[in-house]
Amino acid sequence: MPLNMVVCLKQIPNPDLQFQIGPDGKDIRRDTLNYKVNGADEYALEEAVRLKEKHGGRVVALTLGPKRTEQMLREALAKGADEAVRIAYEDVATYDVGKIARLLAAAIRAMPHDLVLTGVQSDDHFNSATGGLIAGILGLAHASVVTRVEVKDGRLEVASELEGGLQRVSALPLPALLTIQFGANTPRYAPLPAIMKAARQPIKELGPQALGLSGWDGVVLPYSFGVRGLSRPAAKRSAEMISGSVEEQAKRLAQLLREKGFVRR
Amino acid sequence: MIRIGADVLVVAEHLEGRLAPSTAELVAVGRELAGPSAGIVKAALLGHNVGGLADILVGLGVEVLHVDDVALAEYTGDGYHLGVRALVEQTDPRVVLVAHTSQGYDLAPALAGAMGLALVTNCVGLRAEGDRLVATRRLLNEKVQAEVELSSERPIVATLRPGSVAPAGAAPGGKVTPTQLSIETGTIRTKFLALERPEVADIDLSSSDVIVSAGRGIQKKENLAIVEQFAKAVGGVVGASRPLTDMEWLPKTRQVGQSGKTVRPKLYVACGISGAMQHVAGMKDAGLIIAINTDPSAPIFEVAHVGFVADVLKLLPATLKELKG
Repeated sequence: MPLNMVVCLKQIPNPDLQFQIGPDGKDIRRDTLNYKVNGADEYALEEAVRLKEKHGGRVVALTLGPKRTEQMLREALAKGADEAVRIAYEDVATYDVGKIARLLAAAIRAMPHDLVLTGVQSDDHFNSATGGLIAGILGLAHASVVTRVEVKDGRLEVASELEGGLQRVSALPLPALLTIQFGANTPRYAPLPAIMKAARQPIKELGPQALGLSGWDGVVLPYSFGVRGLSRPAAKRSAEMISGSVEEQAKRLAQLLREKGFVRR
Repeated sequence: MIRIGADVLVVAEHLEGRLAPSTAELVAVGRELAGPSAGIVKAALLGHNVGGLADILVGLGVEVLHVDDVALAEYTGDGYHLGVRALVEQTDPRVVLVAHTSQGYDLAPALAGAMGLALVTNCVGLRAEGDRLVATRRLLNEKVQAEVELSSERPIVATLRPGSVAPAGAAPGGKVTPTQLSIETGTIRTKFLALERPEVADIDLSSSDVIVSAGRGIQKKENLAIVEQFAKAVGGVVGASRPLTDMEWLPKTRQVGQSGKTVRPKLYVACGISGAMQHVAGMKDAGLIIAINTDPSAPIFEVAHVGFVADVLKLLPATLKELKG
């Protein structure tokens, strides 16, 4: 059976970088950052494209963010998405996951969606919440930390990763939402002709009106939320740091391993 | 009218008859949140034939809302959602506390989304301040900490990262309140099918005294040979962080961390591992932790006893030479 799928993608600052806290103390400094697609979302996209290849259907790549996110959407098109949609929400300090999920859910509600896929978490905010919130808001059956998806007799059979390497296998009906775990598949590289083609494809832009809102502040939230401030986490216990040249460090490490009896001589 | 310091509802997590260690941590935070205004900590225990777990929770001084229902014999997103939702409506707590585990972040966001409740997840600290709930969270590979505040006239759902606080100890005053919910099996759309166990390992990491683990810092699969040589020299076996097993450089059974093995060797050498929460959860209790990483701000140095800011591909061969020489 063909599946109408929506994959939520997020562009995040490369988390391997160093970060500085901005002058107002409520967001990181963003002027020097470079951005990438969130790791888990790449697996979600790949899963959707594989399901399309097997069962037919359509994949919409959906994001929320400023203009720069179009580059990520074009990559998604080149990797097999059929349509790209950007919610043109420009505020980059997206600390309230509840607000973001409500905006994404409003956009998804207006699209055909048998299956919605997100990454299990984003590597900037680590909420692991966007997918579940969308499922709750839209009333979709859902499963999280999914490492395997099969469509059988019009329903999904999925494996969810638990702590300690256990997997819980469950079945759920469509429409459904899955959050996809790292390593669920091997994301493909986009072939050059597809990249060329994607560069010319239109990207649909959704403003607040398209989501039924008077403005971006028109999202009705049943709570109030605020960022008090950012700080550097205090080191819980600092390691004894061994400095020096590699040779000096190697001497010290060898000595330590001998002292503690891990090597005999 | 915003309510403060009323009751806290803790969602107990269990699998195969065992209570998750994170549940006692939730109780500890629940006590602190409920304490100042004499609220009560209640624990939602959902399952079938898990009366023994109710007794354990009573020992922590909480009121156990024990729902014994065959429809809840195994966790399903829908089943727990319906069960916890009914208990939230019944008890009207100030905060609903859930562990930030695979099961917890399956449940908590969907519950908050469906009930229209405020949500804050993966917190390392939570406290009540005036009419607000203040949450401490870690961002961007643990490099930044954020304090956020939420207030609401309705319950706030929060998930707590396991290992963030000390578990609650024994306390008096606990009791079991058997609770009937009429959950219609037909409303549970997700069906549990099976639990799958990881394949049998070629090497049992958890019984090794010495583990040398490799992370992304080794750059290429071929460089595993250096790590293996070093492990051999110190009489250990090779483990890995998640990215390496995801890339299939090493079998899944070698993965140390929350979704892999939890290990407690005498010596743990972290080679080119940044120290993401998911990894640290599996090795933080090792006797001696030596970390090697090029990034001096890598969070692995927070749990290590001895740290080397160095390229592991240079330091390991140099140390091997030193050990031979």
